[in-house]
Amino acid sequence: MAAMEIHFTLNGQPVAVQAEPDEMLLEVLRRELGLRSVRETCGLGICGACTALLNGQPISTCILLAPLAEGCEITTVEGLGGHHPVQRAFEEVQAFQCGYCTPGMILTIKALLEEEPEPDEETIRRALGGNLCRCGCYLKIVQAAQRAAALLAEERRPQPGPGAAPVS
Amino acid sequence: MPEPGGNAHYTEPDPRVTGTIRYAQDVELPEMLYACVVRSPYAHARVLRVDTSALPVDVVALTPDDVRSLGLYGCQMKDQQVLAVERALYIGDPVAAVAAASPRAAREAAELIEVDYEELPAVFDAVEAMQPGAPLLHPDLAISENDAAYFGMRPEPQRNVCHHFRIRHGDIEQGFAEAEIIVEETYRTPSAQHVPMEPHACLARWTADGRLEVWTGTQTPFNLRMDLAGIFGLPQEGIRIIAPPMGGAFGSKTFVRYEAIVAGLARKAGRPVKLVLRRDEEWLTLNRHPATIHVKLGAKRDGTLVAKQVTCWANTGAYADCGPGVAQKMGFASPGPYRIPHVWVDSYCVYTNLPSNGAFRGYGATQAVWASERTMDLLAERLGLDPLELRLKNVLVDGDRYCTGEIMHDVHFADCLKAVAGQIGWQRGRRGKGLAVLLKGMQTPSRASIVVEANEDGSYTVHCATAEMGQGAWRAIRMLAAEQLGVPVERVHFPVPDTDIVPYDTRTTSSRSTYMMGRALVEAVRQLKENGELGYGECVNEGGLDPDTGQGIASTHWHQGAAAAEVHVDEETGKLEVVHLHTAIYAGRIVNPPAAQLQNEGSMIMGLGSALFEEITFADGQITNANLSDYNIPAADDLPRITYDLIERPGAEIHGLGETALPPVPAAIGNALFSLGIHVRDLPLTPERVLEASERRSVHSAASV
Repeated sequence: MAAMEIHFTLNGQPVAVQAEPDEMLLEVLRRELGLRSVRETCGLGICGACTALLNGQPISTCILLAPLAEGCEITTVEGLGGHHPVQRAFEEVQAFQCGYCTPGMILTIKALLEEEPEPDEETIRRALGGNLCRCGCYLKIVQAAQRAAALLAEERRPQPGPGAAPVS
Repeated sequence: MPEPGGNAHYTEPDPRVTGTIRYAQDVELPEMLYACVVRSPYAHARVLRVDTSALPVDVVALTPDDVRSLGLYGCQMKDQQVLAVERALYIGDPVAAVAAASPRAAREAAELIEVDYEELPAVFDAVEAMQPGAPLLHPDLAISENDAAYFGMRPEPQRNVCHHFRIRHGDIEQGFAEAEIIVEETYRTPSAQHVPMEPHACLARWTADGRLEVWTGTQTPFNLRMDLAGIFGLPQEGIRIIAPPMGGAFGSKTFVRYEAIVAGLARKAGRPVKLVLRRDEEWLTLNRHPATIHVKLGAKRDGTLVAKQVTCWANTGAYADCGPGVAQKMGFASPGPYRIPHVWVDSYCVYTNLPSNGAFRGYGATQAVWASERTMDLLAERLGLDPLELRLKNVLVDGDRYCTGEIMHDVHFADCLKAVAGQIGWQRGRRGKGLAVLLKGMQTPSRASIVVEANEDGSYTVHCATAEMGQGAWRAIRMLAAEQLGVPVERVHFPVPDTDIVPYDTRTTSSRSTYMMGRALVEAVRQLKENGELGYGECVNEGGLDPDTGQGIASTHWHQGAAAAEVHVDEETGKLEVVHLHTAIYAGRIVNPPAAQLQNEGSMIMGLGSALFEEITFADGQITNANLSDYNIPAADDLPRITYDLIERPGAEIHGLGETALPPVPAAIGNALFSLGIHVRDLPLTPERVLEASERRSVHSAASV
């Protein structure tokens, strides 16, 4: 099969990469673009270790044909910079052990909180149904999602202007 | 050239949160090739011919002829060759391997190799494999020289037994003669998959001066080095093992897995070769021992235990791996943490034509506790006693003698039981509730050693072979060192373990590392403070059991815990819902609270999977659910209410806690079902089994009216 060139936006930067037409996006992100936060576990779109955001929605890159990413915006954890509120929440709560599933968890929670800024625990657990963690960090991952919601709410709160009264 | 792997320093932000952590699967070298394994489609077959003539010229193949002259290996029994040379012993047994320029090219090349087989009779059940006339897997058997073969092995190759462990304590006949009530039952637990999120991954290269260098996700760098030395006829110093952090292991990344195959390919290719397993191949690599366990328990009418006889059949699959060790620990965990004057245990490690089974979080205790603790509830019911009272009456306390003859110290079984009973509301009513208690040994004997070095910039470096698989051992050791050196933890570095640099350590298993390395560290830091440059410390725990009587020191350090569960059952469908799960484990002194909590939560959740749905299914030796669609592991939305106590004691020493909470979970849930009259003998507790047991109870009640 002849390789083809695919164009998409990766973490805010336009990229052009070579891929086989039957290749999955995961292989291309790892091999051509050197991203290591997207990881294969199940290869079936079940476990979420290969999660990236496609136009803001979490997808399993292990089952997305690379050519279908043409023209899309792809976000991986590398694009969050390290200090995104969801990342900070994971650090604060220590919601990881081996860390293999962590990038996928962070992206799924980021997408959830954009749609639903104040989810209850059940909503969080349901949203994480497609992200497996064999170390079993789920209790702390749910706490991290709650903490991230609080951090994001703080960020959204209007900053006090010059004339605002000091908070006592 | 920069070395792959690099230093995994915990700088801010954490590399696990930024995705920048580099696991074994991420290691790369220039010019490297990618491997793919060719596997037997037969459970037992003679390998007649391996034809590589269809391969493209740039593909390198490793065939039986390439490995015939290499040494046999095996961490406890020397029963394995780099490839199946004469006979393939399970569906998935590697018979050849290829290395090519890309993973895809390697997969395509593997399909071009043609192998001719002559199919032979196979056996899959451990009890059947011991019967006369069963196909023999390893008629000639040698015990390994690897130091993982640390106890007296008692193989009986003419009935497929690679180890027969015994406990002979008291006089079993007299014990049962004194018993006023005897209960007896047979239990089965299935094979399970570790499912580390990161698959097995390794990379090998040969240097110009003939040294072998291997980067691999391994919990056992030194055991691996010993076996590779034997295979390739090299001195141990001729081999270098580098062990990057792993994306989970749970026992699966131990001893030789694919390192010998990639090393063989790399030598033939003259280039580095890397292998990352496909997910389905994990099921063909190492699983948990299926077990059949028969328990006969005798007691006085007041509940005092007097005699216990246990027979375990641990199905170790085609190659022993550390199965003899698992059978031994299953054997000495099966009497349970009780005072019993007369104990008789036979634990067999049995070859069958299944993929190999080996270390799995819980290490034989999960199987043993299921059988032992379910039987305690059978006895309680027959005696009309409260299962908690029955346990508290018999449970070991400080100064008691265990059935191995050793005196028990720092004993907290009763505390753990009382804690879980309180949290589950035992006193408010026992219907739908169940309890289980666990004792689990730590690797004994073993040795840990560590070097601490002062750097010119005022920081320190710890050189230590402890593997990091998510359990947080590197962080815990750095925290302990920082505490003793009086510096912030950021000033203590922990480079990726490299056997060329780090001192010897037995292995990162059995929840021993923080405890053992923590003790070794004290001496290392003391020395460093004296000379200002370098300190070395080691910790040795001595002991071991007589293999023919099971008498001696089973463990210098006992993991102790209990679980309680509350369940609801839909009796129309058999669907079992766990409402609340609570565990209490003895934690001694906790080093890193979030990591300790995570280890305990993870153990409970893995135990829940084993209790409710994890089971590898086979059809004539062929695994029928080798994927994460058909083999389910717990997800966030599967969990009940989960609570726990980590019991600390002022002045206590560090205590291993990485797997304590797993084994009692299935038994507590099984006992909760039994409190509703539903007696299920076999794990997992699927709706079909629950419904069948529930209907059996209804028939009995109807008959007894």
